[in-house]
Amino acid sequence: MTKWAAAATAAMLAAAGLIFLYAPTDALQGPVQRIFYLHVSSAIAAYGCFAVVLLGGVVYLWKDSLAADRLARAAALVGVVFTTVTLVMGMLWAKPIWGAFWTWDARLTSTLVLWMIYAGYLLVRRLAASGRQAARFAAVVGIFGFIDVPVVHFSVTWWRTQHPGPVIVNNALPPEMLLTFLVTMACTLFLAAVLIAIRYQIETLTDETPAPAAVLDSGLRPESAR
Amino acid sequence: MIRPVTIALAVARKDLTSEWRTRELVPALGQFVVLALVIANFGFQIDSHNAAAIAPGVLWLALVFAGLVAFGRAFTAEREQASLEAMLLTPAPAAAIFAGKAMAAAMLLVLCEAVLLPALTLFFGTPLSVPLVAAVLLATVGMAALGCLFAALVAQVRARELLLPLLTLPLWIPFIVAGGQAVQVAMGASGGYNQALGLLIDFDILFVVLTSLAARFVLDD
Repeated sequence: MTKWAAAATAAMLAAAGLIFLYAPTDALQGPVQRIFYLHVSSAIAAYGCFAVVLLGGVVYLWKDSLAADRLARAAALVGVVFTTVTLVMGMLWAKPIWGAFWTWDARLTSTLVLWMIYAGYLLVRRLAASGRQAARFAAVVGIFGFIDVPVVHFSVTWWRTQHPGPVIVNNALPPEMLLTFLVTMACTLFLAAVLIAIRYQIETLTDETPAPAAVLDSGLRPESAR
Repeated sequence: MIRPVTIALAVARKDLTSEWRTRELVPALGQFVVLALVIANFGFQIDSHNAAAIAPGVLWLALVFAGLVAFGRAFTAEREQASLEAMLLTPAPAAAIFAGKAMAAAMLLVLCEAVLLPALTLFFGTPLSVPLVAAVLLATVGMAALGCLFAALVAQVRARELLLPLLTLPLWIPFIVAGGQAVQVAMGASGGYNQALGLLIDFDILFVVLTSLAARFVLDD
């Protein structure tokens, strides 16, 4: 796992090299536009993580698979981290360009709601009795959260929006910017996958570690064996 | 085999009967929403010029927090007397029991709205029109379904008063957005309320179906 972590770090450094040295400076926005690459990539990584949470939850409820629940747990935490990165970088970008850190635009609102829902998800995991109950309740929260976010997005879009639409599918990026973006996105998704894998291992260890009473019990066993 | 609808109605009647016998929640909620209006009056410095602009927001704030209190209470008695387990031991489907609980909680919230809307007319001068009442009632359906599902969930965990708003409020946002729009139009803002009411009906259908599917996983132990 250390090897993979090192590879992910190297990939992110390579992406940073492209962002700051290779990609051209935006004619209108200047250097601040370089936020774009990591901002959009981490948003996509966050959505990917929450899709994994949804899948893990559905598989858990369906097949009662503890591994699926562990995967959902790991992905939720990583997803919240990437959503935080997206929100903070977005605010730093919005201040010089829009003149305010925040507007109540559809995309911003739904991303904030996304953050709230999965922060709630992590809280449910902590407060419910650990084991089957926490897994079941968290799966329900994960499923409702994933469905609610597009609904929030849609209902706010219906009345007001200001965030720029997707620029990648519209062919609006020059080739150097597009290449930088695609590389950054691939590296960020790789980083997310590695983080989920590390977190999954930690969750496995936590699940396998006996509760304190059981530790005491196993500590006594050699004595009785003697 | 009893039909699920009969079970749901029986559960709802049980909850409403127990509320009628104690008469605890509805008077308290009525007093709570009127107090919310008093607080809003001081918080916003309301006068005859800005009342029309602020009233829709005050309506939804009061309703959301009254809803949190009402749904938070829905499973308190069940938990204290362990009667939910008894109900789940019967062959009745969990979705039917959940539907009954949600219907009763929605009824209590409607009673609370019956105080809130006339009070808004009285204190803020907002017209009590059919589209306004329709928007509030439609939002109540979906809010009750979601609120009751998560009330059932948090009733079984630690720190439940803390967790209910954190889980429910983000999921209620679509209802507040569409409902808020409908009420603003009903109170004189430009735009049509038909699309807002249509959207509320869509959200109601979506979340009522989803919550009845999820009820099994939240109630079964």
